[in-house]
Amino acid sequence: MLVPVLAIGGLGVVAVIGVVAAFVITGWIGQPIPVLGFEQTFDQPIDFPHTIHASLKQLDHVPADGGTMEGLGLDCTFCHRTVTTQANAGIPPVGFCATCHQVIGAEGNPQLTILRDAADIVGDDGSQPVNWQRVHRLPDHVRFIHEPHIRYLTQNPSQVEGTTDGVTEGPSGVCSTCHGNVAAMKQVEQVESLKMGQCVDCHRDNGAPTDCVACHH
Amino acid sequence: MATAEFGSHNWGMVVDVDKCIGCNACVIACQAENNIPLNTQDRVERARSISWIRVERYWEGDFPDAKARFIPIMCQHCENAPCEPVCPVYATYHNSEGMNVQVYNRCVGTRYCANGCPYIVRFFNYWEPVWPKSLRNHLNPDVTIRSRGIMEKCSFCVHRIRRVSRKARSEGHEVADGAVQTACSSSCPTSALIFGNFNDPNSKVSQMKEDQRHYTLLDQFGTDPNVIYLAKIDADKKVGAGEAASHG
Repeated sequence: MLVPVLAIGGLGVVAVIGVVAAFVITGWIGQPIPVLGFEQTFDQPIDFPHTIHASLKQLDHVPADGGTMEGLGLDCTFCHRTVTTQANAGIPPVGFCATCHQVIGAEGNPQLTILRDAADIVGDDGSQPVNWQRVHRLPDHVRFIHEPHIRYLTQNPSQVEGTTDGVTEGPSGVCSTCHGNVAAMKQVEQVESLKMGQCVDCHRDNGAPTDCVACHH
Repeated sequence: MATAEFGSHNWGMVVDVDKCIGCNACVIACQAENNIPLNTQDRVERARSISWIRVERYWEGDFPDAKARFIPIMCQHCENAPCEPVCPVYATYHNSEGMNVQVYNRCVGTRYCANGCPYIVRFFNYWEPVWPKSLRNHLNPDVTIRSRGIMEKCSFCVHRIRRVSRKARSEGHEVADGAVQTACSSSCPTSALIFGNFNDPNSKVSQMKEDQRHYTLLDQFGTDPNVIYLAKIDADKKVGAGEAASHG
């Protein structure tokens, strides 16, 4: 009699542990920034290639007229204009993209057609703004300001981790600390967890305030 | 030495009650600045309205010599705050800039702090805050919206302090006296509310603090507030600091 009772009891314990584990795991995945899923990619309305724009290296992308192609090596701040002065890095308006792309890029390129439609270059047939999906998103109770971080890392290059395709100078040289090598990403992914522990570790190492209201207010 | 470092200030406020005309502009400014939920009629009737600053009325003297008085009251940012030691999750604490700070994402809503506060300036969100669609674009993006079950109170407009000191650091100078203005002090038509740095002996608040009319609210509790009041002066009656303190 004893053996079946023990077996049932053991099964019960296993079941309880399983339920608790499932609860914890789903709760962990369901965090504002899913830790296990932060490498997820987003379906952007336009397949914007950071490689062509930001990289300085030779690309595996083949242009329409054949041959090889190197990246433009634009500074991050060329498009993300407010990153050195404001809280948000900022997404450029489509009109800004169109300053180049009304001339550059093949006529029938479907991705550029979306952009030109949005910038209202090709007719005004009900064009829609580009609804970019945000990749790096912090919870609402976090007040992250780009400006002091760019300023500090620019002044203290030894604290910079990684590079944006080998760039070490200027604002582009510091972005990789939190964003990884975006210039090598065909589609932008979040490569760091960007959870509070990571923020506090870096703040502590660099003598930045670890007071709660530095970020939460 | 780096300038405008975090923790080099002791923020505080001086309220000149003699200048206050009770217009409630500070109340409205605070409401707009800090994303405070709308105090609808049913919330007010249930005594669950939220206002980080209020103009409170009280009576002085006995009939027929009674006088109606009013005084703006906000979180006093006490040095010995009764709300702080009772918080089980350390969601409210005193920071190095002399402010009593509420960390919304830590708060679990026990409401012990509101029970401990003798000034009744802590407010609990009994409901999820909702705004009509027309007001949603009016919300301040610098201030967290507090959800249901969170305690909130006057923050001394800490987002404005952070913004000004960040700008001062990037430009490499100290925070100038008067550069930081809270929503209430900037909206006050008679400059009855003055905000500044008590660590700087030359700041306006430090000078005003020395006025013989100064007193603190509920001084007998020894909370040592960072909000200093200057007593009202009657034309027909001389009011000293000691006398003024008794009506707190």
